[in-house]
Amino acid sequence: MRTRRTTAVVAGLVALPLALTACGGGDTDAGEGGGDDTLRLWHYEGEDSAMGIAWDEAIRVFEEETGATVEFERKAFEQIQQTAGMVLSSDEGPDIMEYNKGNATAGLLASQGLLTDLTDVAEERGWAGALPESIQTTARYDERGVMGSGSWYGVPNYGEFVTVYYNEDLFAEHGVEVPSTLEDLEAAMNTFVAAGITPIATAGAEYPAGQLFYELALSKADRDFVTAYQTYTDEVDFSADPLRYGAETFAEWVDAGYVAQDAASLKAEDMGVAFINGTAPMMVSGSWWYGRVVAEAQFEWGIFNFPGNDLNAGSSGNLWVVPENSRNKELAYEFIDITMRPEIQAILGNNGGLPLAADPADITDEKSQELITAFNEVLENDGLAFYPDWPVPGYYDVLVSGFQKLINASATPDQVLEEIGTAYADGVASIE
Amino acid sequence: MTTEPVVLAPPAPSRGTARTPVVQRTRDRNHRGAVRWVVLAAAVVVAVAMMVPFAIMLLNAFKAPGEYSAEGPLSLPSSLYTDGLVAFWQRVDYPEKLLNSTLIAGSVAVLATLVSLLNAYALGIGRIRGRMWVVALFLLANMLPQEALVYPLYFLAKETGLYNTQLSVIIIFTVIQSAFGTYLLASVLSTFPPSVLEAAALDGASSWQVLWRVVFPIARPTLSVLLIFFFIWTWNEFFIPLVMLIDNSTQTIPVALASLQGDRLMDVPTINAGALVSLLPAVVFFLVFQRTLTRGITAGAVK
Repeated sequence: MRTRRTTAVVAGLVALPLALTACGGGDTDAGEGGGDDTLRLWHYEGEDSAMGIAWDEAIRVFEEETGATVEFERKAFEQIQQTAGMVLSSDEGPDIMEYNKGNATAGLLASQGLLTDLTDVAEERGWAGALPESIQTTARYDERGVMGSGSWYGVPNYGEFVTVYYNEDLFAEHGVEVPSTLEDLEAAMNTFVAAGITPIATAGAEYPAGQLFYELALSKADRDFVTAYQTYTDEVDFSADPLRYGAETFAEWVDAGYVAQDAASLKAEDMGVAFINGTAPMMVSGSWWYGRVVAEAQFEWGIFNFPGNDLNAGSSGNLWVVPENSRNKELAYEFIDITMRPEIQAILGNNGGLPLAADPADITDEKSQELITAFNEVLENDGLAFYPDWPVPGYYDVLVSGFQKLINASATPDQVLEEIGTAYADGVASIE
Repeated sequence: MTTEPVVLAPPAPSRGTARTPVVQRTRDRNHRGAVRWVVLAAAVVVAVAMMVPFAIMLLNAFKAPGEYSAEGPLSLPSSLYTDGLVAFWQRVDYPEKLLNSTLIAGSVAVLATLVSLLNAYALGIGRIRGRMWVVALFLLANMLPQEALVYPLYFLAKETGLYNTQLSVIIIFTVIQSAFGTYLLASVLSTFPPSVLEAAALDGASSWQVLWRVVFPIARPTLSVLLIFFFIWTWNEFFIPLVMLIDNSTQTIPVALASLQGDRLMDVPTINAGALVSLLPAVVFFLVFQRTLTRGITAGAVK
């Protein structure tokens, strides 16, 4: 009896991992199901978002035309952000996926050789001709992974930019006109402040404050500055305009009460809610809010581009990339090509997205037209200036902490400029 | 306040009985009663404070997105909105994730407890040489941040073909959790009454028999506490499953929950609904085993 019990325990110990291996192994097989006519596709756009809707249609068209099946998985943004490098260097990755544009993301993977060079395909299929110049910046990366030149590694489907959302009801109530210059805007904001309303909703704990600063700086900037700042072609002086103007004006706006003192601890979500619930008359933020404001705001509202600015924060949207380990590159190219078709682009545009290759006549939704018109205005000026946190890795947190200090008035613009300037210089030095 | 207990009326609505001559006799009990009420009040305050986040989550899980944006997170929902729950359930294929999470957390809980017991038996009762160092090593494994471990783990998993399988996560957490379990259990077992062990040895028990017939039954309460902790800790793990489990079909609930948070936007009602249904299994597990838990602790204390 003694031995029998021992045997039973030992047998149990041995059997358990075996059972586990069995179930683990089964899943590996399922994951590797990519055959000749399967395209494994990952993206992380919401089901009801403009991109989600348009790409669902693209998948349908693709399956119909090629006879191939799409194995689609909706991913967590966080997961792609954290693990893309690891996934793509294994053989568990997809054949085509959506990935973040920028030096620290697509650029990094391209420089590590994990993405397929799309230059020839882009020429052949005419994507290079279809996309506006400032949109192409984020599609191309050099050997260091710096955007703006070199080979094509990704294809954007849509655009995004920072604009001003305003509450028409509140504007009418206080007799404020839509401003066309920065002085008009300041006058309008004074009216609201006099009425006890904080005119601009912003958030210091996340990207909005940095983007507001960047918009202000861009009002004094030209294309050369943007190129130097984003791609290190020239020295950037943080103690001079336009960056000095941006930081000083930002501090003045805080002083004047245009921006709430307690905004330092707010998140982007708080900013959006403050605008959507009708508390704040204006919000300076990106087109990614558009669909949600359309769905949820209970008042008349509109947008206008940051008054007086030729340059605005914005860029292409995220990219379609084809991993080097993709097992079906031809099908992946075909899928990208379908997403660039006018009819798919029109679906994107009619659902609050910003198409890059749509026929304007196809955009029938009135609210969407308003957004696309504003975006086209920016594109015509070659006005996409990307985002302030792009140039160096980890710069986002530097900017957040810098502008929190400006909102709290715990540092002067000079101190903040020095702080963000040093971090920029260090970051650039580590890239060069 | 507590210095003059006699003057103080009982703070409770005592239905008049306290005013009868009984007061004289229960003077001491009244005194204690006042303190008790203060302690109770403090406990209630702490409990309420701890429940506030849950209450807010519950409130927003059943609120329409438009209403959330218009009224903010603290308003009462005007109607019961269940689309968030439905959307979460369907979007992430919740039953599949539930199965994955249960498989992973359950296997880890059992395996890690077993490994802890075997290790601790050698360290705490077997008193092997250099056990101090072994325990220190185990602790170190536990103290290392997961971010530092993740790349080597990824590389090993890829080399052994375990990348993107639940087994990789089960092995990793069995080791991590049993590091803690070994540390805890080794010190518990080192105070094991030697007389019991000697008696077993006199009866001719081998060390294997001592473990399963003597040590295991006595340590069982502690082991069941470990089991519950390991289950709940593993259930809530996010980072390593995020890295290791790539396919949607292998993912766990916390990873699925993260897919609701986009690049720049989030859908608060759906996230709250998702958090609610993700929390429930762990709560149910705890309630089911709660009896074992309390029994375990008291049994240990008596011995």
